Amino acid sequence: MKGLGFFVAFLVLFSCASSVRADDDPAALFAQATQALKEGRAGDAIASFEALADRGVVDPVASYDRGLAYATRVRIGAEVPGDLGRAAHGFEEARDLSRDTRLTDDATHALTVVRSEVARRRTRAGQPVEVDPGRSLSRTVASLLAEDTWAAMAVGSSALLALGLFARWLARAPRLRVACGVAAGIAAPMLAVSIAMTLAARHDRLGLREAVVVTSSARPTDERGIALAGATPLPEGARVEILEARGPWTRVRFGAIDASVAAASLRDLAR
Amino acid sequence: MKGPVLFLFFLVACLLVSPVARAQSAPQLQAQADVDTVGVGDIVHLELSAQSADGMPTDPQPGATPGFVVRGQSSSPSQTHISINGNRMDRFGLTVDWALQAQRIGTFSIGPPTVSVGGSRFAARPVTIHVVPAGQGPQRPQQQIQNPTPFPQGPGFSPFDPWRGLFPGVDPGAQPSVTTDPKLALDAPRGTFYFLHAAVDNTSAVVGQQVLFSVYEYLDEGAGASIEVDPADVRDPTAAEFVKHPLLRDEQEAILVGYANVAGRVWKVNLVRRWALFPLHAGDLVIGPMSVTLVRPRSAAGSKRATDTLHVRVTEPPVAGRPPGYALGDVGRFSLAAQVTPRDLEQGGAVGVHVELSGTGNVPAAIAPPVRTGVEWLAPEVHEQVGSVGREADTFGGKRSFDYVVRVRRAGDVDLGEVTLPYWDPDQKRYGVARAILGTVHVKPTAASPAASGEAPEQETLPGLPPLRDALEGTAPSHAHPDDSRLYWLLGVGAWPAVFGIAVVGRGAGRRVVRAWQARKASPTTDLKDRVSAANAACHGKDARAADAAIAHALEAAAIVHAGVNVRGAVGDEVIHRLEDAGVARDAASRVADLLRECEAARFAPDAADLLSARDRWLRAQGAIRQMEKR
Repeated sequence: MKGLGFFVAFLVLFSCASSVRADDDPAALFAQATQALKEGRAGDAIASFEALADRGVVDPVASYDRGLAYATRVRIGAEVPGDLGRAAHGFEEARDLSRDTRLTDDATHALTVVRSEVARRRTRAGQPVEVDPGRSLSRTVASLLAEDTWAAMAVGSSALLALGLFARWLARAPRLRVACGVAAGIAAPMLAVSIAMTLAARHDRLGLREAVVVTSSARPTDERGIALAGATPLPEGARVEILEARGPWTRVRFGAIDASVAAASLRDLAR
Repeated sequence: MKGPVLFLFFLVACLLVSPVARAQSAPQLQAQADVDTVGVGDIVHLELSAQSADGMPTDPQPGATPGFVVRGQSSSPSQTHISINGNRMDRFGLTVDWALQAQRIGTFSIGPPTVSVGGSRFAARPVTIHVVPAGQGPQRPQQQIQNPTPFPQGPGFSPFDPWRGLFPGVDPGAQPSVTTDPKLALDAPRGTFYFLHAAVDNTSAVVGQQVLFSVYEYLDEGAGASIEVDPADVRDPTAAEFVKHPLLRDEQEAILVGYANVAGRVWKVNLVRRWALFPLHAGDLVIGPMSVTLVRPRSAAGSKRATDTLHVRVTEPPVAGRPPGYALGDVGRFSLAAQVTPRDLEQGGAVGVHVELSGTGNVPAAIAPPVRTGVEWLAPEVHEQVGSVGREADTFGGKRSFDYVVRVRRAGDVDLGEVTLPYWDPDQKRYGVARAILGTVHVKPTAASPAASGEAPEQETLPGLPPLRDALEGTAPSHAHPDDSRLYWLLGVGAWPAVFGIAVVGRGAGRRVVRAWQARKASPTTDLKDRVSAANAACHGKDARAADAAIAHALEAAAIVHAGVNVRGAVGDEVIHRLEDAGVARDAASRVADLLRECEAARFAPDAADLLSARDRWLRAQGAIRQMEKR
């Protein structure tokens, strides 16, 4: 009888310890979350995915599945305000972080689905439907190639420019001099562009902070937090660039709009 | 005989001693309330007076206070020692005043209040109080912080000492005889006659944890002056970074909490504000000061009294062990209970789910229902009963109930799951999860599908979502970027054009150096050195004529360098004149002219030239050159 009591106590303690481990182990949390999502328990899945994020786990699949969990909650009719924005945030984060092209494609597709829903709702509300104004030209060009590629191009252009000039300087044959001049002429602008793009990519890597609007709408305000008259609220799920964070207010850029919004209406994208 | 005497002595002793013994063992207790009918929210004072000859009554307790909460307590002990004809009589007294606030309508039996004497507890008779709706209680005279005596000089006026109390603070006899509470003591008063003091029960908390904020007013009991505050200029503290729940009603009168000894004087202490504050975010949060303006006494009229600004350091509960679903701010101790009715329904029908959340802390205003596919939770109807709880009414809490209508679209046994609320327990410093299992409902399938019933199929929200992934990808290993290094910019990008630039610049510089060197080489000084070297070489050779020619050239070069004149081609005394005109001494000029003449003669003489003579001329020529140089 005494032995049975010890055995029961051991089981209880073991089960408690297991639950503690499950709460703290990211892999177990991820498994719980995906299992809940498979079973349609979107609320439980969201709780586990958010617990995973609270523990500092940054993984493209976790972000992607978290976005799916929020989207699922919308889909099953249990939407909580901000779910679409949080879904968009998960997909944006997955797209940024992933090196898997299939996951990137899926995240992009899911993002399109979510933003379409946001645009549909804004249309019904009579608001502008622009949800994703895209990035600036320079940032778009800079993102065409990896930062290291731009850096390598800068080195190559620099060498080509120098060699072309040397050869033109030293050569005696007119044809060779012309050929070297042309090479140097091409290399010079290429060097300028690649240096500029390298610097831009580096700046983005080190200084760019972006976030996604995770409330139904984020109303632009001035620096004192007073809502701007006639300003259109930023759409849910919009990706914005954070320019400055000042306590409860954050100055953001969204397309051509430069305004402050409540910090609580944004969720930073992990990098 | 001995036996009857002893019996008689025992009988007399019993008759004489027993009344005294009874009196000592049972203290005299008297309990009474200042009113027997009050309105909801009003304060009634329950006073217990205990007199004992055995010892000082201690540990007074008000007993049961149904319908009331205790807002304050003050005690006044007293001792009397009388000696008559050598017989000493001791009386110990304790008067306790409890401030009770009526909470609900009804007739309540309060108490019985009790005290402890000599290790035994004695009870007075309970007091019955009627509580009527707020505002319907009988009018009572306003309790003012003023002199209650008819004498203008204040309490303790004596016709035998009419000046007593006229000068506040100098009359030691003005100090009332009360028991002071060390917990209310302060190092020094913040003002004369009256000041405010604010305090929090905890200067560090986590987000959502209750911080009990109290403001006390201190009134100088011995000042002998009536004190009055301008009711129109009472400024409440600011606590914008907290959720604020008052634990006292705004219009409630100040509650006497005791007496304090501050810098040797007795101050009456009233509680004027008591708030439960819940921090909204982490950081160093500020509670602003509360201020009032005095109207009386006249000497202090118009002066402000304010509390200090308080700071509370707020952190977030630990991430380790945080349960899934925890929402920042859910701090306290909560429990959940749920009820589902009915358990059997048809597909598409609804059940009612009643969830009751109760506990202490900032009871969450919303809970997350266990949403799942095929089960639709409609917005709940919420009822709440929150406010101050606990014996001291210093904790916020209560309960909120959520009534959901839940539509079940799936057929079969549908598990509704469980409602959970993770929270941080600040007392036990660990997370807890309140749970209420909802159980399973039995859903009968219905034959009518949406198409058959004529309903248009609902358009699916968010169609075409991609599938779930169930394996983590892992984070990309962070690597160093070459453009973060200065070497990359210096050597990788800058070195190539720099090398070219250096080459171009170097070539130009080289050319300039060569030109400068060549120009320097053609100067008269260089020419003189060359001529002198050539003359030396020629004099060490075998050709005397060549030596004389070299000596002549060296002299001509020296004339150019040292005198600035060209003597080549000059004949006769013209050499001397030119040199003299250039500032050369006549002696030196003559030597140069003679040497040039001798060289000329030796070079073109028909006889064989004499090399020794030429060497002698060269020695003399070198002397002439040095002479011109020293000029």
